[in-house]
Amino acid sequence: MRKRKLDEVKTTVSEMLELPKEITLNLPKISMIGNIQMLVENHKGIIEYTPQRIRLNSTIGVIRVQGVNMNLKNIAVDDIMITGEIKLVEFL
Amino acid sequence: MFGYLVIRVEGLSLERFINLTVSKGIYLWDIKRYSYTALTACITIKGFKKLKKIVRTARCRVRILDKRGLPFILARFKHRKMLVVGMTVFFIIVYGLSSFIWTVDIEGAVKVPEEKILQILEKHGIKPGAYKRNLDISAIANWVVIDMPELWWVSIELRGTKALVRVVETNAPPPMIDRSIPCDIVAARDGIIHEMVVLEGEPLVRVGDTVRKGQLLVSGIIEDQETHDVRYVHAMAQINARTWYEGTGIWEFDKPVTKRTGRKAVQKYLDLGKWVIEYQKEDIPFKKYEVVEKRVPFFDQRGLIPITMIVREYYEVEEPQKGTELQAIKEKAHDIAYENARRTIPEHVKIIDKRVKYDMIEGKEVKATVYIEAIEDIAQQQRIIFN
Repeated sequence: MRKRKLDEVKTTVSEMLELPKEITLNLPKISMIGNIQMLVENHKGIIEYTPQRIRLNSTIGVIRVQGVNMNLKNIAVDDIMITGEIKLVEFL
Repeated sequence: MFGYLVIRVEGLSLERFINLTVSKGIYLWDIKRYSYTALTACITIKGFKKLKKIVRTARCRVRILDKRGLPFILARFKHRKMLVVGMTVFFIIVYGLSSFIWTVDIEGAVKVPEEKILQILEKHGIKPGAYKRNLDISAIANWVVIDMPELWWVSIELRGTKALVRVVETNAPPPMIDRSIPCDIVAARDGIIHEMVVLEGEPLVRVGDTVRKGQLLVSGIIEDQETHDVRYVHAMAQINARTWYEGTGIWEFDKPVTKRTGRKAVQKYLDLGKWVIEYQKEDIPFKKYEVVEKRVPFFDQRGLIPITMIVREYYEVEEPQKGTELQAIKEKAHDIAYENARRTIPEHVKIIDKRVKYDMIEGKEVKATVYIEAIEDIAQQQRIIFN
């Protein structure tokens, strides 16, 4: 209950001050180029990686990406770039 | 740029391996999974050195597949110091040699001998072997123009190791006689006077008169008819006259009479002194042809490098049809005659008519004589000589 209240305050504050929400609310930021590239910022580690399925941990739960011939183009401490043919993105 | 490794990681918990590496701040890229237990990735050299601990905790094996980048190439050269030295020396030599002028080419010189231009250029520092970096090209071009009044314009361009000098020649004006000096006007050629405009002086001929070369046309001595006062003037006139030029050409009956059809084939050879290498060889698809052989020095130094290119041009020719041989022979003789006549005509002359006369020695040759009628200014100033 308290947590939800805090999040609401944070949302309004970040909207008022035009701050990036992924920082204030600590959410993953996902940007995609078509279906060939996907950049996930602010992730919390890889759970599973196969060319067909990638599962990433994040603050809002697991992000599951399914596709064909997927590679991890870049991995740094808090961002991952996935390339390949992406078919499905799910938030579990 | 800084070098990286392509590694193959084998193990059961590869995700764990990736997470651990990333959390240590080691950068990974181009990760490809081959099977459940194997993947390849790229890693920096620094990162790879920190990998040992992770490998132990994640329980996997790491093998290096490839080393890429400059540090590895350099490391290979460490054992071959002389190779590096040689390469450096090579680049220095190439760079050094390319900062000199090796050839000087002159374009546009027709009347002025190239040697003379080369001499003047050399005086100002443009010669084979000159260091080109401290040459002030435009200043030199100006100096050359000043030194050679025969040239209107000079441009010097450095193309690599070649200095390309383009010149435009002046049309040397006829020697002018100063206006204060009295002079006559005489005929420069034989001809019939077509029209005359006398600006100064006493005309001695009229339109329609036939004049010979050297004949006095306009006198600079004017005598007053009443007082018999003699005045000397600088005669000036434009006298246009019909003049004739003639040229002859002979074509023997036994010489082949062929005509180029316009199709040609080119063969190129490289002549290396001892050997001749085929460079470009086309088959000759013609039954009858003429060959024109040209030798082009491969590098445009004269004889410095004994490589020349031989260009053979094969022109397809056709023989005239039966019954028109005489016509063809006449044509050939005429062409030669016309060409000969043309050669004697100065540039500014206007051609108004052409006539051809054929003389034939039966069974031996045809001689064509071409008469070209032209109109030109035959006025030539001549100083009056007082005795």
